[in-house]
Amino acid sequence: MLSIPYTHTRLSNGLDVIVHEDHRMPLAAVNVWYHVGSKNEQRGRTGLAHLFEHLMFEGSAHQRDGYFGPLQQAGASLNGSTSTDRTNYWELVPIGALDLALWMEADRMGWLLPALSQERLDNQRSVVLNERRQSYENRPYGLATFTLMAAIFPPDHPYHWPTIGEPADLEAATLDDVRAFFQRYYHPGNASLVIAGDVETDDVLRRVEELYGDIPAGEPVGRMAPAVPPPAPRRMVMEDRVELPRLYLAWPTPQLFADGDAALDLVADLLGNGRTSRLYSRLIHDRRIAVELAAGQTSREIASTFQIVATAAPGRTLDELEDAIHDEIARFADEGPSEGEVERGRAQAETAFVYRVQALGGFGGKADQLNAYQTYLGVPDWFQSDLDRYLHATRDDLRLTCGAWLARDRATTLAVVPHGTAAGALRDAELVERGRA
Amino acid sequence: MSTRFRRPEPGPPAPVRFPSIVRHTLDNGLAVWTIPYGALPVATTTLVIGRGTAEDPPDRHGLASLTGDLLDEGAGRLDAIELADAFARAGTHLNIDTGPDATTLSCAGLSRVLDRILDLMADVVIRPRLGEEDFERVRELRINRLRQLSRSAGSMADRAWVTAVFRDHPYGHGAMGTTAALSAMSVDDARTHWQRHLAPSVATLIVVGDVQPDDVTTAAERAFGAWSVTPDEPVAAPASTAPDARILLVDRPGAAQSELRVGHAAPPRSTPLYHSLVVANAVLGGQFTSRINQRLREEMGITYGAHTSFDFRRLAGSFSCDTSVQTDATADAVREILAQFDAIRGAAVDADELDAARASLTRGYVRNFETAGQISRAAVQLVTYDLPDDTFDRFVPVVGSVTSDDVQRAAREVIDPAKATVVVVGNAEDCRASLEQIGRPIEAVTPEF
Repeated sequence: MLSIPYTHTRLSNGLDVIVHEDHRMPLAAVNVWYHVGSKNEQRGRTGLAHLFEHLMFEGSAHQRDGYFGPLQQAGASLNGSTSTDRTNYWELVPIGALDLALWMEADRMGWLLPALSQERLDNQRSVVLNERRQSYENRPYGLATFTLMAAIFPPDHPYHWPTIGEPADLEAATLDDVRAFFQRYYHPGNASLVIAGDVETDDVLRRVEELYGDIPAGEPVGRMAPAVPPPAPRRMVMEDRVELPRLYLAWPTPQLFADGDAALDLVADLLGNGRTSRLYSRLIHDRRIAVELAAGQTSREIASTFQIVATAAPGRTLDELEDAIHDEIARFADEGPSEGEVERGRAQAETAFVYRVQALGGFGGKADQLNAYQTYLGVPDWFQSDLDRYLHATRDDLRLTCGAWLARDRATTLAVVPHGTAAGALRDAELVERGRA
Repeated sequence: MSTRFRRPEPGPPAPVRFPSIVRHTLDNGLAVWTIPYGALPVATTTLVIGRGTAEDPPDRHGLASLTGDLLDEGAGRLDAIELADAFARAGTHLNIDTGPDATTLSCAGLSRVLDRILDLMADVVIRPRLGEEDFERVRELRINRLRQLSRSAGSMADRAWVTAVFRDHPYGHGAMGTTAALSAMSVDDARTHWQRHLAPSVATLIVVGDVQPDDVTTAAERAFGAWSVTPDEPVAAPASTAPDARILLVDRPGAAQSELRVGHAAPPRSTPLYHSLVVANAVLGGQFTSRINQRLREEMGITYGAHTSFDFRRLAGSFSCDTSVQTDATADAVREILAQFDAIRGAAVDADELDAARASLTRGYVRNFETAGQISRAAVQLVTYDLPDDTFDRFVPVVGSVTSDDVQRAAREVIDPAKATVVVVGNAEDCRASLEQIGRPIEAVTPEF
């Protein structure tokens, strides 16, 4: 039984506080989730949630000259990230620096705006535009996902635009936009704080009350209802600075923790991850028509996507790859996995879950996972229930889920090909700009 | 200001106690290290074989790595897919990494399947099939991978830089080699590499987690006892290579940014200057708050991030600044990086900056020893660089005693803008003219993939 003991307290201003004691190492993890991501943005104002995450490290009223200096000197590792659904911030500190980390997070939760200036906004806007260039625009195939998401999710769906934002929107963001964003989403009622490690729960809670208790409650932020869009079976081709043509297949699928979500995770592994997967053994090992392959269910709060990505071997066509992939999916949806395949999936899930509760802090550490379960489900220790989703999935579950969601006529299809080769690269496909749909 | 809004001071650093290593050596020379650790039922298993890409013959760049990749394409009674399936049914998978100094096989599994993992790992290293057809297939995949990498700005920069800095030194090529070298190889080359280099007398098996030393030794004896290979002598360290202070410009028309590498060769891991250099790097570019990131990102806003690092290896090391900057700031960035290299030699680091660097290295050092995987990776360093067991326990006090003089002396001996090779991968038309103003010879190059 996988169990992470914790206590959960809610302060009067709405802040959820979760404490998990683990005395093995003289360390503590501090982890804050704000339930806001790019899905809370408006069209024409995209990229704000992520730009804001950058500003959170620049300074607050009582810590004006940046967050990295004092924390790194105290021995912390620290970072933050923004997704479509949430923004998180964490510090992993030697226990002597826990008070510092708690104080710093409190100061930016309650007193960020007095330290915010036009100069800081301009500087971090420039950093973010460079992040966009480095991580997406300058990378082979780097804009493919933007095109796929824009095609699957209609223009008014909160997942239509990329989290990093449109350059024009970032250029247009004003100090007032940023202030309004903070006031709307960055308050205790829309946040949850986890402290994990070598701590005494009562002491920590007392200190948290002192530091966070007087931060004013904000206007509650409602949850967004799941919104899995209907399939968007478009066929697109994009030219890019790449060597080998690559095929992307994507489907809208059930949101995080919904029925079918875990089954699709397992389907992804069995179909496309690693040498034992069906697509690898047929397409790369036996037929040698592909050179790279990956599959995955990207689980998100109001809708997920399932993707298969395959790069063609030289001399092979994407049409050929596409047929071969759909044939394998159809066979899976028809016959289902073998008992051996299902057992393999269970064994791997069990190992993965045990390894996931080793580290206290950082992305994906215990504190981060407690916060994820708390934010999405209101139940911090959902580890065993989560694992059970994988252990209890049957052959029929996988067969039926695959058939229900991954049909050929539901797929959004994108080819990314070398410059000058779009014509005829994928049958019946429309030419699209890089990153657009 | 009330105390409520006064920033708390951090407490004293936590000491580091690396867990003890229980050692045993099998008759064939294989060292077995067991490190009981942690509270979870895991066993992280690593087989480190002290031969890596440095052993690639000059006309066979990529051989060690290709051989490593081929090891688990069928072994013992199992073909490639069956072997992968066997690991997967044990809830794990095998990673094979071929680095410059070592070939490392590793598996993160639950402790109850340790025996099974050791048996499979032994098949892979002692009884690999190294078949002709698998060789052809894996080589074809690698050649296609190289084609893909030849379009990645980071890979282009890494290749151009390492070739210029190390030239014909054993470290002067990429692990994956080149298409030309791979095309010239046969499966016999892989078989020869395996026979000459992958031997128990240069290998160490490291098991970390919820395990008993006696059990590990018994299982290792059963699995690896039959491994019998006598290795060739390892490659020797040649005399140092001459620096190449040119700007090497790799044209990437239409690039959204310029990818930069700036740096030169450095001493090996065994250098007595190690701790002083680690502190110097923390001041200069090792961290978010270091000088170079503060300038390029937080003040100039021309990059998502810039950092420097030492890569300390067995025969030699290197030092470089890696970043990616907006095209119109390419020359400014290069000039700034070189100026920062110069500054850390030219002036003593002041007390506050030194304290900050030392504190950031030492106060949180204990964070590096939390999981079985972290302990395994640390133990791999002890093996690969032949370091004493108290290496990690000593790090905090030794770094804590590094002085400003130590830093400057080490920087003067090792870091030198006049020796730095500058690689720029970007839109040459847009940045060539401004790079010429720097006053170094510029050469257009195309890295070989």
